[in-house]
Amino acid sequence: MLEEAKEVCPTTTRRLLGEGAILMDVRDRSEVTAFAFDVPDVVNIPLSELEQRCSEVPRDRPVVFVCDTGVRSLKATYFLQFHGYTNVSNMGGGVVKWSAKGFPVKGQRAADSCSTGCCSPTEGTTTTSCC
Amino acid sequence: MDIKVLGTGCTNCKNTIALIDQVAKAKGVTVKLEKVEELRDIMGYGVMSTPGVVIDGKVVHAGGVPSRDKVESWLGA
Repeated sequence: MLEEAKEVCPTTTRRLLGEGAILMDVRDRSEVTAFAFDVPDVVNIPLSELEQRCSEVPRDRPVVFVCDTGVRSLKATYFLQFHGYTNVSNMGGGVVKWSAKGFPVKGQRAADSCSTGCCSPTEGTTTTSCC
Repeated sequence: MDIKVLGTGCTNCKNTIALIDQVAKAKGVTVKLEKVEELRDIMGYGVMSTPGVVIDGKVVHAGGVPSRDKVESWLGA
C-alpha cells in the first residue's frame, strides 16, 4: 500500500518554492489559461496527460502538485508515489485556497471551473501544514 | 478468483461490479468480488482511469465499463 500522501498548505508551498521546489499544476490548459499561479517555477501537466508525461516530473527536486481544490492533485501525488517518487506532496485547497491567502495569481477563476466533481473534500492525506 | 473493482463509487464502477457478478453467476464461477473505493488504495495499483479491475492481484482493465466479452474471457470461456 502507498504511504499516505503528504499534504501541504499554501504557506508551506511558498516556502518550499523558495527552497527549490517546483509547482506541478495538473489542471486542464483552459483552466490554467484563465487562472494561474503567478510563480516562476510552475509547470502544467494536465492530469489526463500525466500517465504519458510522468517522466517529465523531476526526481531531483521537491514537487508540489496543485489543482483547483486539491483533489486531482492528490490523485497525481499518489500516482507519482506509485512510480517511486518520494519527494512529492499535495497542496490542499488548490489555487482556490492559494488565491484566498492573497498569494500571487494571474487571471480570474471561472465560477464553473469545477465541473468534474473535483470539489469534494480531500481525504486520505496526512496534513503536515501549518495552516 | 479474487476480483477487485477500483473506483470511487461512480455509476460505471457500480455497473462494472454488477456485470462481473452477473457473468460469474451465469457461468457458475465462484468469485470473491470486492469494491476498492479509497483513492489511496486505488492508486496503489497505479490506475489513473476508473473503473479498474484487478484479478488475483493483476490489473486487467482500466477506464470505462468492460465489455461483456472481456468479462467472460476473464472468467473463463
